Amino acid sequence: MSLNVERASMAFTFKGGMLPMTVMELASADPERIREQLSGKLSQSPAFFQHTPVVLSVEKLDEPHLALERICAVCRAHKLLPVAVRGGSDPVKQSAWALGLGWFPPSDSGRARMLEGVATTDAAPAPDESVPGRAESTASGGRIYRGTVRSGQQVTAPEGDLVVIGAVNAGAEVLAAGSVHVYGALRGRALAGIHGDTLAGIFCRELRAELLSVAGNYKRLEDIDPQLLGTSVQVTLSDAQLGITSLT
Amino acid sequence: MAKIIVVTSGKGGVGKTTSAAAIATGLALRGNKTVVIDFDVGLRNLDLIMGCERRVVYDLVNVIQGEAGLNQALIRDKRVDNLHILPASQTRDKDALTSEGVEKILETLSKDFDYILCDSPAGIERGAQLAMYYADEAIVVTNPEVSSVRDSDRILGLLASKTRRAERGEDPVKEHLLITRYNAARVDHGDMLNLEDIREILAIDLIGLIPESEAVLRASNQGVPVTHDDNSDAGQAYADTVSRLLGEEVPLRFHESQKKSLLSRMFGGGRR
Repeated sequence: MSLNVERASMAFTFKGGMLPMTVMELASADPERIREQLSGKLSQSPAFFQHTPVVLSVEKLDEPHLALERICAVCRAHKLLPVAVRGGSDPVKQSAWALGLGWFPPSDSGRARMLEGVATTDAAPAPDESVPGRAESTASGGRIYRGTVRSGQQVTAPEGDLVVIGAVNAGAEVLAAGSVHVYGALRGRALAGIHGDTLAGIFCRELRAELLSVAGNYKRLEDIDPQLLGTSVQVTLSDAQLGITSLT
Repeated sequence: MAKIIVVTSGKGGVGKTTSAAAIATGLALRGNKTVVIDFDVGLRNLDLIMGCERRVVYDLVNVIQGEAGLNQALIRDKRVDNLHILPASQTRDKDALTSEGVEKILETLSKDFDYILCDSPAGIERGAQLAMYYADEAIVVTNPEVSSVRDSDRILGLLASKTRRAERGEDPVKEHLLITRYNAARVDHGDMLNLEDIREILAIDLIGLIPESEAVLRASNQGVPVTHDDNSDAGQAYADTVSRLLGEEVPLRFHESQKKSLLSRMFGGGRR
Protein backbone atom coordinates (compact mmCIF):
# COMPACT_ATOMS: atom_id res chain seq x y z
CA MET A 1 0.00 0.00 0.00
CA SER A 2 2.76 2.41 0.91
CA LEU A 3 4.12 2.03 -2.58
CA ASN A 4 0.85 3.09 -4.17
CA VAL A 5 0.64 6.15 -1.99
CA GLU A 6 4.15 7.14 -2.94
CA ARG A 7 3.41 6.75 -6.63
CA ALA A 8 0.23 8.76 -6.36
CA SER A 9 2.17 11.66 -4.90
CA MET A 10 4.49 11.83 -7.92
CA ALA A 11 3.46 13.95 -10.87
CA PHE A 12 5.12 11.64 -13.37
CA THR A 13 7.61 8.86 -13.88
CA PHE A 14 10.15 8.51 -16.65
CA LYS A 15 10.07 5.27 -18.56
CA GLY A 16 12.26 4.01 -21.34
CA GLY A 17 10.22 2.83 -24.30
CA MET A 18 10.55 1.80 -27.91
CA LEU A 19 7.59 3.05 -29.89
CA PRO A 20 7.04 2.24 -33.52
CA MET A 21 7.60 5.38 -35.55
CA THR A 22 7.11 6.15 -39.18
CA VAL A 23 10.17 7.71 -40.75
CA MET A 24 9.51 9.97 -43.72
CA GLU A 25 12.66 9.76 -45.77
CA LEU A 26 12.86 12.98 -47.79
CA ALA A 27 14.32 12.72 -51.25
CA SER A 28 13.41 16.29 -52.12
CA ALA A 29 13.43 19.49 -50.08
CA ASP A 30 10.80 21.12 -52.28
CA PRO A 31 7.59 21.55 -50.21
CA GLU A 32 5.49 21.62 -53.39
CA ARG A 33 6.71 18.20 -54.55
CA ILE A 34 6.11 16.80 -51.08
CA ARG A 35 2.60 18.23 -51.12
CA GLU A 36 1.83 16.62 -54.47
CA GLN A 37 2.99 13.18 -53.37
CA LEU A 38 1.18 13.41 -50.03
CA SER A 39 -2.10 14.30 -51.73
CA GLY A 40 -1.80 11.21 -53.89
CA LYS A 41 -0.99 8.99 -50.90
CA LEU A 42 -3.82 10.45 -48.86
CA SER A 43 -6.41 9.41 -51.40
CA GLN A 44 -4.92 5.89 -51.62
CA SER A 45 -4.84 5.11 -47.91
CA PRO A 46 -6.71 7.68 -45.85
CA ALA A 47 -6.54 5.39 -42.81
CA PHE A 48 -2.83 5.99 -42.53
CA PHE A 49 -3.17 9.74 -42.13
CA GLN A 50 -4.75 10.02 -38.69
CA HIS A 51 -2.44 12.56 -37.09
CA THR A 52 0.26 9.94 -37.44
CA PRO A 53 3.51 11.00 -35.78
CA VAL A 54 6.43 10.99 -38.22
CA VAL A 55 10.15 11.57 -38.03
CA LEU A 56 11.41 13.59 -40.98
CA SER A 57 14.65 12.08 -42.13
CA VAL A 58 16.81 14.46 -44.15
CA GLU A 59 19.81 12.17 -44.27
CA LYS A 60 19.63 11.72 -48.00
CA LEU A 61 19.34 15.45 -48.64
CA ASP A 62 22.49 17.39 -49.19
CA GLU A 63 21.18 20.85 -48.39
CA PRO A 64 22.43 22.86 -45.45
CA HIS A 65 19.27 24.98 -45.28
CA LEU A 66 15.78 23.56 -45.51
CA ALA A 67 12.38 25.19 -45.60
CA LEU A 68 11.60 23.05 -42.56
CA GLU A 69 8.69 25.19 -41.41
CA ARG A 70 6.95 24.91 -44.78
CA ILE A 71 7.56 21.17 -44.98
CA CYS A 72 6.05 20.72 -41.52
CA ALA A 73 3.04 22.80 -42.51
CA VAL A 74 2.48 20.60 -45.58
CA CYS A 75 2.67 17.49 -43.39
CA ARG A 76 0.20 18.85 -40.85
CA ALA A 77 -2.18 19.83 -43.63
CA HIS A 78 -2.20 16.13 -44.57
CA LYS A 79 -2.70 14.92 -41.00
CA LEU A 80 0.87 13.89 -40.39
CA LEU A 81 2.46 15.20 -37.19
CA PRO A 82 6.19 15.80 -37.52
CA VAL A 83 7.68 15.12 -34.09
CA ALA A 84 11.36 15.14 -34.86
CA VAL A 85 14.01 15.48 -37.54
CA ARG A 86 16.75 12.98 -38.17
CA GLY A 87 20.11 13.90 -39.67
CA GLY A 88 21.08 17.03 -41.52
CA SER A 89 23.43 19.93 -40.90
CA ASP A 90 23.78 22.08 -37.79
CA PRO A 91 21.42 24.81 -39.10
CA VAL A 92 18.81 22.10 -39.72
CA LYS A 93 19.19 20.95 -36.11
CA GLN A 94 18.82 24.54 -34.86
CA SER A 95 15.70 25.19 -36.91
CA ALA A 96 14.16 21.90 -35.75
CA TRP A 97 14.63 22.96 -32.16
CA ALA A 98 13.25 26.40 -32.95
CA LEU A 99 10.11 24.73 -34.31
CA GLY A 100 9.75 22.65 -31.15
CA LEU A 101 10.82 19.42 -32.84
CA GLY A 102 13.29 16.88 -31.55
CA TRP A 103 16.47 16.06 -33.39
CA PHE A 104 18.05 12.63 -33.89
CA PRO A 105 21.54 11.96 -35.16
CA PRO A 106 21.76 10.22 -38.55
CA SER A 107 21.16 6.47 -38.42
CA ASP A 108 23.88 3.99 -39.19
CA SER A 109 22.35 2.67 -42.35
CA GLY A 110 25.39 0.76 -43.49
CA ARG A 111 24.02 -2.51 -42.15
CA ALA A 112 20.69 -2.12 -43.82
CA ARG A 113 22.37 -1.57 -47.13
CA MET A 114 24.44 -4.68 -46.70
CA LEU A 115 21.25 -6.64 -46.31
CA GLU A 116 19.60 -5.17 -49.36
CA GLY A 117 22.40 -6.80 -51.31
CA VAL A 118 21.57 -10.21 -49.89
CA ALA A 119 17.84 -9.91 -50.17
CA THR A 120 17.77 -8.92 -53.79
CA THR A 121 20.37 -11.26 -55.23
CA ASP A 122 18.01 -14.00 -56.27
CA ALA A 123 14.81 -13.56 -54.37
CA ALA A 124 12.03 -13.46 -56.92
CA PRO A 125 9.20 -12.12 -54.79
CA ALA A 126 5.93 -13.87 -55.34
CA PRO A 127 3.57 -12.02 -53.04
CA ASP A 128 0.50 -13.10 -54.98
CA GLU A 129 1.33 -16.70 -54.17
CA SER A 130 1.10 -16.31 -50.44
CA VAL A 131 -1.74 -18.41 -49.21
CA PRO A 132 -4.77 -16.34 -48.25
CA GLY A 133 -6.01 -16.82 -44.73
CA ARG A 134 -2.95 -18.68 -43.49
CA ALA A 135 -1.09 -15.65 -42.18
CA GLU A 136 -2.51 -13.42 -39.51
CA SER A 137 -1.00 -10.21 -38.20
CA THR A 138 -0.53 -9.65 -34.50
CA ALA A 139 -1.15 -6.38 -32.69
CA SER A 140 2.58 -5.86 -32.28
CA GLY A 141 3.12 -5.88 -36.05
CA GLY A 142 4.32 -9.47 -36.23
CA ARG A 143 2.79 -12.30 -38.23
CA ILE A 144 1.81 -15.87 -37.49
CA TYR A 145 1.68 -18.27 -40.41
CA ARG A 146 0.05 -21.67 -40.01
CA GLY A 147 0.98 -24.38 -42.45
CA THR A 148 3.90 -25.35 -44.63
CA VAL A 149 5.70 -22.57 -46.48
CA ARG A 150 6.31 -24.25 -49.80
CA SER A 151 8.97 -23.97 -52.48
CA GLY A 152 8.58 -20.69 -54.37
CA GLN A 153 6.55 -19.02 -51.63
CA GLN A 154 7.70 -16.04 -49.64
CA VAL A 155 6.26 -15.04 -46.28
CA THR A 156 7.28 -11.67 -44.86
CA ALA A 157 6.68 -9.87 -41.58
CA PRO A 158 7.75 -6.34 -42.55
CA GLU A 159 7.29 -4.88 -39.08
CA GLY A 160 7.85 -7.51 -36.42
CA ASP A 161 8.52 -11.15 -35.72
CA LEU A 162 7.41 -13.96 -37.98
CA VAL A 163 6.18 -17.18 -36.42
CA VAL A 164 5.70 -20.19 -38.69
CA ILE A 165 3.70 -23.07 -37.23
CA GLY A 166 4.89 -25.64 -39.72
CA ALA A 167 7.88 -26.26 -41.94
CA VAL A 168 9.67 -23.94 -44.34
CA ASN A 169 10.55 -26.11 -47.32
CA ALA A 170 13.55 -25.91 -49.63
CA GLY A 171 13.11 -23.10 -52.13
CA ALA A 172 10.84 -21.11 -49.79
CA GLU A 173 11.82 -17.86 -48.11
CA VAL A 174 10.75 -16.35 -44.80
CA LEU A 175 11.66 -12.78 -43.85
CA ALA A 176 11.04 -10.60 -40.82
CA ALA A 177 11.99 -7.18 -39.54
CA GLY A 178 12.32 -8.90 -36.18
CA SER A 179 13.04 -12.53 -35.43
CA VAL A 180 12.00 -15.62 -37.35
CA HIS A 181 10.59 -18.55 -35.38
CA VAL A 182 9.92 -21.83 -37.15
CA TYR A 183 8.09 -24.54 -35.23
CA GLY A 184 9.08 -27.23 -37.67
CA ALA A 185 11.89 -27.97 -40.08
CA LEU A 186 13.62 -24.97 -41.65
CA ARG A 187 14.78 -26.15 -45.07
CA GLY A 188 14.51 -22.93 -47.05
CA ARG A 189 15.92 -19.45 -46.52
CA ALA A 190 15.36 -17.44 -43.38
CA LEU A 191 16.22 -13.76 -43.07
CA ALA A 192 15.74 -11.98 -39.75
CA GLY A 193 16.31 -8.30 -39.01
CA ILE A 194 15.77 -7.26 -42.62
CA HIS A 195 15.77 -3.58 -41.67
CA GLY A 196 19.03 -3.96 -39.82
CA ASP A 197 17.91 -5.11 -36.37
CA THR A 198 21.05 -6.79 -35.07
CA LEU A 199 19.28 -8.15 -32.00
CA ALA A 200 16.90 -10.26 -34.09
CA GLY A 201 17.42 -13.99 -34.28
CA ILE A 202 16.29 -17.14 -36.05
CA PHE A 203 14.90 -20.02 -34.02
CA CYS A 204 13.89 -23.36 -35.43
CA ARG A 205 13.09 -26.90 -34.42
CA GLU A 206 15.07 -28.62 -37.17
CA LEU A 207 17.87 -26.82 -38.97
CA ARG A 208 18.29 -27.65 -42.66
CA ALA A 209 18.32 -24.08 -43.97
CA GLU A 210 19.67 -23.12 -47.38
CA LEU A 211 20.51 -19.67 -46.05
CA LEU A 212 20.41 -17.96 -42.66
CA SER A 213 20.73 -14.21 -42.36
CA VAL A 214 20.47 -11.80 -39.45
CA ALA A 215 20.69 -8.08 -40.28
CA GLY A 216 22.49 -8.87 -43.51
CA ASN A 217 25.09 -11.24 -42.08
CA TYR A 218 24.50 -14.58 -43.65
CA LYS A 219 25.57 -18.20 -43.74
CA ARG A 220 24.85 -20.72 -46.45
CA LEU A 221 24.05 -24.36 -45.86
CA GLU A 222 27.65 -25.13 -46.79
CA ASP A 223 28.96 -22.92 -43.98
CA ILE A 224 26.87 -24.57 -41.29
CA ASP A 225 28.51 -27.11 -38.97
CA PRO A 226 27.06 -30.45 -40.13
CA GLN A 227 26.74 -31.51 -36.49
CA LEU A 228 24.03 -28.90 -36.04
CA LEU A 229 21.97 -30.01 -39.03
CA GLY A 230 18.67 -31.53 -38.05
CA THR A 231 18.83 -30.13 -34.53
CA SER A 232 16.92 -27.41 -32.79
CA VAL A 233 18.94 -24.18 -32.80
CA GLN A 234 19.03 -20.43 -32.36
CA VAL A 235 20.90 -18.16 -34.72
CA THR A 236 22.04 -14.80 -33.38
CA LEU A 237 24.57 -12.10 -34.09
CA SER A 238 27.49 -11.35 -31.82
CA ASP A 239 30.27 -9.01 -32.93
CA ALA A 240 28.90 -9.03 -36.48
CA GLN A 241 29.38 -12.81 -36.54
CA LEU A 242 26.50 -15.15 -37.09
CA GLY A 243 26.49 -17.75 -34.34
CA ILE A 244 24.44 -20.94 -34.32
CA THR A 245 23.90 -22.59 -30.98
CA SER A 246 21.94 -25.64 -30.00
CA LEU A 247 18.71 -25.22 -28.09
CA THR A 248 18.70 -28.71 -26.64
CA MET B 1 -22.12 -32.20 -60.29
CA ALA B 2 -18.90 -33.92 -61.16
CA LYS B 3 -15.85 -33.88 -58.96
CA ILE B 4 -12.96 -32.26 -60.83
CA ILE B 5 -9.60 -33.84 -60.03
CA VAL B 6 -6.32 -32.57 -61.45
CA VAL B 7 -3.38 -34.95 -61.78
CA THR B 8 -0.28 -32.81 -61.54
CA SER B 9 3.37 -32.85 -60.46
CA GLY B 10 5.46 -29.93 -61.68
CA LYS B 11 8.21 -32.24 -62.85
CA GLY B 12 7.87 -34.14 -66.09
CA GLY B 13 8.18 -37.87 -66.56
CA VAL B 14 7.01 -38.85 -63.10
CA GLY B 15 3.89 -40.67 -64.28
CA LYS B 16 1.11 -38.10 -64.46
CA THR B 17 -0.47 -39.40 -67.64
CA THR B 18 -0.03 -43.04 -66.64
CA SER B 19 -1.66 -42.27 -63.30
CA ALA B 20 -4.48 -40.20 -64.82
CA ALA B 21 -5.28 -43.04 -67.25
CA ALA B 22 -5.05 -45.72 -64.57
CA ILE B 23 -7.15 -43.84 -62.02
CA ALA B 24 -9.77 -42.81 -64.58
CA THR B 25 -10.03 -46.43 -65.67
CA GLY B 26 -10.32 -47.57 -62.06
CA LEU B 27 -13.05 -45.04 -61.29
CA ALA B 28 -15.01 -46.11 -64.37
CA LEU B 29 -14.59 -49.81 -63.56
CA ARG B 30 -16.15 -49.07 -60.19
CA GLY B 31 -19.24 -47.73 -61.95
CA ASN B 32 -18.50 -44.00 -62.01
CA LYS B 33 -19.09 -42.06 -65.18
CA THR B 34 -15.65 -40.66 -65.80
CA VAL B 35 -13.95 -38.43 -68.36
CA VAL B 36 -10.23 -37.81 -68.56
CA ILE B 37 -8.98 -34.65 -70.30
CA ASP B 38 -5.50 -34.24 -71.73
CA PHE B 39 -4.31 -30.69 -71.02
CA ASP B 40 -0.88 -31.26 -72.50
CA VAL B 41 -1.59 -29.36 -75.71
CA GLY B 42 1.26 -29.85 -78.17
CA LEU B 43 2.56 -33.02 -76.48
CA ARG B 44 -0.46 -35.26 -76.76
CA ASN B 45 0.13 -38.53 -74.88
CA LEU B 46 -2.97 -39.58 -73.03
CA ASP B 47 -4.60 -41.05 -76.16
CA LEU B 48 -1.57 -43.32 -76.61
CA ILE B 49 -1.67 -44.56 -73.03
CA MET B 50 -5.44 -45.11 -73.35
CA GLY B 51 -4.97 -46.85 -76.68
CA CYS B 52 -7.33 -44.60 -78.63
CA GLU B 53 -4.86 -42.62 -80.72
CA ARG B 54 -6.34 -43.88 -83.97
CA ARG B 55 -9.77 -42.63 -83.10
CA VAL B 56 -8.90 -38.99 -82.45
CA VAL B 57 -10.74 -36.65 -84.82
CA TYR B 58 -11.38 -33.49 -82.84
CA ASP B 59 -9.61 -32.34 -79.70
CA LEU B 60 -9.78 -29.97 -76.74
CA VAL B 61 -8.59 -26.96 -78.74
CA ASN B 62 -11.14 -27.60 -81.50
CA VAL B 63 -13.88 -27.52 -78.90
CA ILE B 64 -12.55 -24.37 -77.22
CA GLN B 65 -12.33 -22.59 -80.57
CA GLY B 66 -15.79 -23.69 -81.59
CA GLU B 67 -14.65 -25.86 -84.49
CA ALA B 68 -16.29 -28.96 -83.03
CA GLY B 69 -18.89 -29.87 -80.46
CA LEU B 70 -17.90 -31.47 -77.19
CA ASN B 71 -19.66 -34.72 -78.09
CA GLN B 72 -17.76 -34.92 -81.36
CA ALA B 73 -14.45 -34.68 -79.54
CA LEU B 74 -15.19 -37.08 -76.69
CA ILE B 75 -13.89 -40.58 -77.36
CA ARG B 76 -15.65 -43.50 -75.73
CA ASP B 77 -13.25 -46.05 -74.25
CA LYS B 78 -13.42 -49.44 -75.94
CA ARG B 79 -12.93 -51.46 -72.76
CA VAL B 80 -14.97 -49.61 -70.14
CA ASP B 81 -18.42 -48.22 -70.89
CA ASN B 82 -18.40 -45.36 -68.41
CA LEU B 83 -15.07 -43.93 -69.56
CA HIS B 84 -14.48 -41.09 -72.01
CA ILE B 85 -11.35 -39.34 -73.20
CA LEU B 86 -10.99 -35.76 -74.38
CA PRO B 87 -7.67 -35.66 -76.22
CA ALA B 88 -5.29 -32.71 -76.54
CA SER B 89 -4.23 -31.15 -79.80
CA GLN B 90 -0.83 -32.14 -81.10
CA THR B 91 -0.49 -29.31 -83.58
CA ARG B 92 -1.32 -26.32 -81.39
CA ASP B 93 0.38 -24.92 -78.34
CA LYS B 94 -0.84 -24.16 -74.86
CA ASP B 95 -1.72 -20.56 -75.72
CA ALA B 96 -4.70 -21.94 -77.61
CA LEU B 97 -6.29 -22.77 -74.25
CA THR B 98 -8.44 -20.05 -72.77
CA SER B 99 -9.69 -19.86 -69.26
CA GLU B 100 -13.29 -19.24 -70.38
CA GLY B 101 -13.12 -22.11 -72.87
CA VAL B 102 -11.88 -24.54 -70.24
CA GLU B 103 -14.50 -23.37 -67.75
CA LYS B 104 -17.28 -23.88 -70.28
CA ILE B 105 -16.14 -27.40 -71.13
CA LEU B 106 -15.84 -28.37 -67.47
CA GLU B 107 -19.28 -26.93 -66.74
CA THR B 108 -20.87 -28.90 -69.55
CA LEU B 109 -19.09 -32.14 -68.60
CA SER B 110 -20.05 -31.64 -64.96
CA LYS B 111 -23.68 -32.22 -65.83
CA ASP B 112 -23.10 -35.67 -67.32
CA PHE B 113 -20.17 -37.12 -65.43
CA ASP B 114 -19.31 -38.15 -61.87
CA TYR B 115 -15.59 -37.55 -62.20
CA ILE B 116 -13.53 -35.29 -64.44
CA LEU B 117 -9.80 -36.00 -64.39
CA CYS B 118 -7.52 -33.29 -65.75
CA ASP B 119 -4.16 -34.63 -66.88
CA SER B 120 -1.86 -31.64 -66.38
CA PRO B 121 1.22 -30.91 -68.47
CA ALA B 122 4.57 -30.66 -66.68
CA GLY B 123 5.81 -27.29 -65.52
CA ILE B 124 4.05 -24.46 -63.75
CA GLU B 125 3.08 -22.38 -66.77
CA ARG B 126 -0.24 -21.63 -68.39
CA GLY B 127 -1.17 -25.19 -69.33
CA ALA B 128 -0.53 -26.52 -65.84
CA GLN B 129 -2.26 -23.57 -64.20
CA LEU B 130 -5.36 -23.96 -66.36
CA ALA B 131 -5.48 -27.70 -65.65
CA MET B 132 -5.55 -27.04 -61.90
CA TYR B 133 -7.56 -23.81 -61.82
CA TYR B 134 -11.05 -25.31 -61.58
CA ALA B 135 -10.09 -28.41 -59.57
CA ASP B 136 -11.87 -29.63 -56.44
CA GLU B 137 -9.17 -32.15 -55.65
CA ALA B 138 -5.58 -32.66 -56.74
CA ILE B 139 -3.48 -35.77 -57.04
CA VAL B 140 0.15 -34.73 -56.81
CA VAL B 141 2.33 -37.36 -58.45
CA THR B 142 5.80 -37.59 -56.92
CA ASN B 143 8.79 -39.84 -57.49
CA PRO B 144 11.04 -40.70 -54.56
CA GLU B 145 13.74 -38.26 -55.58
CA VAL B 146 14.71 -34.83 -54.32
CA SER B 147 13.92 -32.82 -57.45
CA SER B 148 10.50 -34.36 -57.88
CA VAL B 149 9.63 -33.67 -54.24
CA ARG B 150 10.69 -30.06 -54.55
CA ASP B 151 8.63 -29.55 -57.70
CA SER B 152 5.62 -31.15 -56.06
CA ASP B 153 6.08 -28.76 -53.16
CA ARG B 154 6.00 -25.86 -55.61
CA ILE B 155 2.82 -27.20 -57.19
CA LEU B 156 1.19 -27.53 -53.76
CA GLY B 157 1.96 -23.86 -53.21
CA LEU B 158 0.23 -22.98 -56.48
CA LEU B 159 -2.76 -25.17 -55.64
CA ALA B 160 -3.20 -23.19 -52.44
CA SER B 161 -3.03 -19.82 -54.15
CA LYS B 162 -3.72 -19.97 -57.89
CA THR B 163 -6.92 -21.95 -58.10
CA ARG B 164 -10.49 -20.74 -58.30
CA ARG B 165 -11.18 -22.12 -54.83
CA ALA B 166 -8.23 -20.18 -53.40
CA GLU B 167 -9.13 -16.98 -55.22
CA ARG B 168 -12.73 -17.15 -54.07
CA GLY B 169 -11.72 -18.05 -50.52
CA GLU B 170 -13.68 -21.31 -50.67
CA ASP B 171 -12.58 -24.58 -49.06
CA PRO B 172 -9.09 -25.31 -50.36
CA VAL B 173 -8.41 -27.86 -53.08
CA LYS B 174 -8.15 -31.27 -51.39
CA GLU B 175 -4.59 -32.46 -51.93
CA HIS B 176 -3.55 -36.09 -52.25
CA LEU B 177 -0.04 -37.45 -52.55
CA LEU B 178 0.56 -40.26 -55.03
CA ILE B 179 4.06 -41.69 -54.95
CA THR B 180 5.02 -43.54 -58.12
CA ARG B 181 8.04 -45.55 -59.20
CA TYR B 182 8.72 -46.54 -55.62
CA ASN B 183 11.40 -49.17 -55.34
CA ALA B 184 11.50 -50.40 -51.76
CA ALA B 185 14.82 -52.21 -52.22
CA ARG B 186 16.51 -49.08 -53.55
CA VAL B 187 14.98 -47.04 -50.75
CA ASP B 188 16.55 -49.47 -48.29
CA HIS B 189 19.88 -48.88 -49.99
CA GLY B 190 19.48 -45.15 -49.62
CA ASP B 191 19.32 -44.57 -53.40
CA MET B 192 15.81 -43.17 -53.13
CA LEU B 193 13.97 -41.03 -50.63
CA ASN B 194 11.83 -43.09 -48.34
CA LEU B 195 8.11 -42.80 -47.92
CA GLU B 196 8.27 -41.10 -44.55
CA ASP B 197 10.71 -38.41 -45.74
CA ILE B 198 8.46 -37.53 -48.66
CA ARG B 199 5.36 -37.39 -46.47
CA GLU B 200 7.15 -35.24 -43.94
CA ILE B 201 8.33 -32.70 -46.50
CA LEU B 202 5.08 -32.44 -48.44
CA ALA B 203 2.84 -32.77 -45.39
CA ILE B 204 -0.26 -33.98 -47.23
CA ASP B 205 -2.27 -37.22 -47.10
CA LEU B 206 -0.96 -40.20 -49.02
CA ILE B 207 -3.54 -41.62 -51.40
CA GLY B 208 -1.41 -44.27 -52.99
CA LEU B 209 1.99 -45.76 -53.53
CA ILE B 210 2.77 -47.34 -56.88
CA PRO B 211 5.80 -49.62 -56.98
CA GLU B 212 8.28 -49.36 -59.82
CA SER B 213 7.02 -52.07 -62.12
CA GLU B 214 7.60 -53.54 -65.52
CA ALA B 215 3.85 -53.74 -65.89
CA VAL B 216 3.66 -49.94 -66.21
CA LEU B 217 5.96 -49.71 -69.21
CA ARG B 218 4.28 -52.67 -70.84
CA ALA B 219 0.86 -51.15 -70.29
CA SER B 220 1.94 -47.79 -71.74
CA ASN B 221 3.32 -49.33 -74.87
CA GLN B 222 0.27 -51.50 -75.38
CA GLY B 223 -2.11 -48.63 -74.77
CA VAL B 224 -3.93 -50.47 -72.00
CA PRO B 225 -4.11 -48.65 -68.66
CA VAL B 226 -2.28 -50.70 -66.06
CA THR B 227 -5.41 -50.95 -63.89
CA HIS B 228 -6.64 -53.65 -66.30
CA ASP B 229 -3.60 -55.76 -65.40
CA ASP B 230 -4.95 -56.84 -62.03
CA ASN B 231 -2.28 -59.48 -61.58
CA SER B 232 0.44 -56.86 -61.53
CA ASP B 233 1.64 -55.03 -58.44
CA ALA B 234 1.17 -51.63 -60.11
CA GLY B 235 -2.34 -52.55 -61.27
CA GLN B 236 -3.31 -53.53 -57.73
CA ALA B 237 -1.70 -50.43 -56.27
CA TYR B 238 -3.74 -48.21 -58.61
CA ALA B 239 -6.90 -50.13 -57.68
CA ASP B 240 -6.09 -49.42 -54.00
CA THR B 241 -5.58 -45.76 -54.85
CA VAL B 242 -8.99 -45.58 -56.53
CA SER B 243 -10.61 -47.22 -53.49
CA ARG B 244 -9.05 -44.59 -51.21
CA LEU B 245 -10.19 -41.84 -53.57
CA LEU B 246 -13.71 -43.24 -53.15
CA GLY B 247 -13.32 -42.96 -49.40
CA GLU B 248 -12.48 -46.54 -48.48
CA GLU B 249 -9.83 -47.52 -45.96
CA VAL B 250 -7.25 -49.73 -47.64
CA PRO B 251 -3.97 -50.74 -45.99
CA LEU B 252 -0.80 -49.62 -47.72
CA ARG B 253 1.02 -52.23 -49.79
CA PHE B 254 4.30 -52.48 -51.71
CA HIS B 255 6.15 -50.02 -49.49
CA GLU B 256 8.43 -52.62 -47.93
CA SER B 257 11.03 -54.63 -49.77
CA GLN B 258 10.62 -58.39 -49.96
CA LYS B 259 11.75 -60.04 -46.75
CA LYS B 260 15.37 -60.96 -46.96
CA SER B 261 16.58 -64.38 -45.98
CA LEU B 262 18.08 -64.82 -42.55
CA LEU B 263 21.58 -65.06 -43.99
CA SER B 264 21.37 -61.94 -46.06
CA ARG B 265 19.93 -60.11 -43.09
CA MET B 266 22.89 -61.23 -40.98
CA PHE B 267 25.52 -60.45 -43.56
CA GLY B 268 23.73 -58.03 -45.81
CA GLY B 269 24.62 -54.88 -43.90
CA GLY B 270 23.85 -51.57 -45.48
CA ARG B 271 20.62 -51.20 -43.56
CA ARG B 272 20.02 -48.03 -41.68
